[in-house]
Amino acid sequence: MSVRFVLRAAERGFSRLVSTGINATYVAGHPDGVITRHSSFNFHEYQSGIPGFGNIRVFGDEVFSPGGTGYNMHPHHNFIIMAFVLGGALTHVNTIGKVDTLKAGDYYVFSAGSGGKHAELNIDREDAHIIYLWVLPGLLLAPPSYLRNRFNAAASANRITCLVGDEKGALPIGQRLKVSRLVSDAGRTHLYRPASANGLYAFVLEGEAEIAGTVLRRRDSISLEKEERVDIVALAADTDLLLVETKL
Amino acid sequence: MKKYLCLGCGFSYDEALGLPEHGIAPGTRWADIPDNWVCPDCGTPKSGFEMVEIPYSSEARPA
Repeated sequence: MSVRFVLRAAERGFSRLVSTGINATYVAGHPDGVITRHSSFNFHEYQSGIPGFGNIRVFGDEVFSPGGTGYNMHPHHNFIIMAFVLGGALTHVNTIGKVDTLKAGDYYVFSAGSGGKHAELNIDREDAHIIYLWVLPGLLLAPPSYLRNRFNAAASANRITCLVGDEKGALPIGQRLKVSRLVSDAGRTHLYRPASANGLYAFVLEGEAEIAGTVLRRRDSISLEKEERVDIVALAADTDLLLVETKL
Repeated sequence: MKKYLCLGCGFSYDEALGLPEHGIAPGTRWADIPDNWVCPDCGTPKSGFEMVEIPYSSEARPA
């Protein structure tokens, strides 16, 4: 058993991006658009943290204010970008030709591959709460793709549910990587079994959990390696976890 | 010959291919690209690239 790191919510990188001034073109929304971003790993100006974990390079806990705030159309290659909407509404536009609006529980997997652009916008009237996860691809310059799905918290209660990965009902990602979500009642214990030699990054969206013996509160996270069994105990009602399993 | 990925946007640089359209000849080593060079797509500095050992997709046309 081995803990690579424990990252408390307040230790993450923090950026506050406004839609005026130097970022007026990059950040959509006017005149008072604000994006807040807590980064678990080094990202953009935040370079004093953890570089990544396995294939994960970005884990951003972001809030877009209403009024069209978000990121204007901008380019990507190669990265597989996933968004998990926690609240509000996210409108995603991409150069594959997709315009999609995602609400709480909805998520997408956008593989930029040989090249694509996207815009991420909150055109709703309340804040949009989104987790952005970027992972290295299994292959470079693959054809771009976009897939979306929905996590039904009520139907999946107290069950570790695979959202992305090689499981029935999950979105495929073409590599040994898996994203799961668990919404649990207080007091329940769950067992997560990473595939051989894989690591696990666990992030507390809501509530409180004890994971591999470490108590984690809201927006705390932990990474584990060399674990065949990871015990997860929900310590609060409606504890909500995002679990990313990656090769190391 | 190595490959490097921009951590800002995912743009990839392949030493074998260079970037002739940006004035970098095929075969140019990463170490020989100036330190003030930035990602042609997103402006991320050279220091924000990571060496990767990821094969190309069979459908890729990296040249």
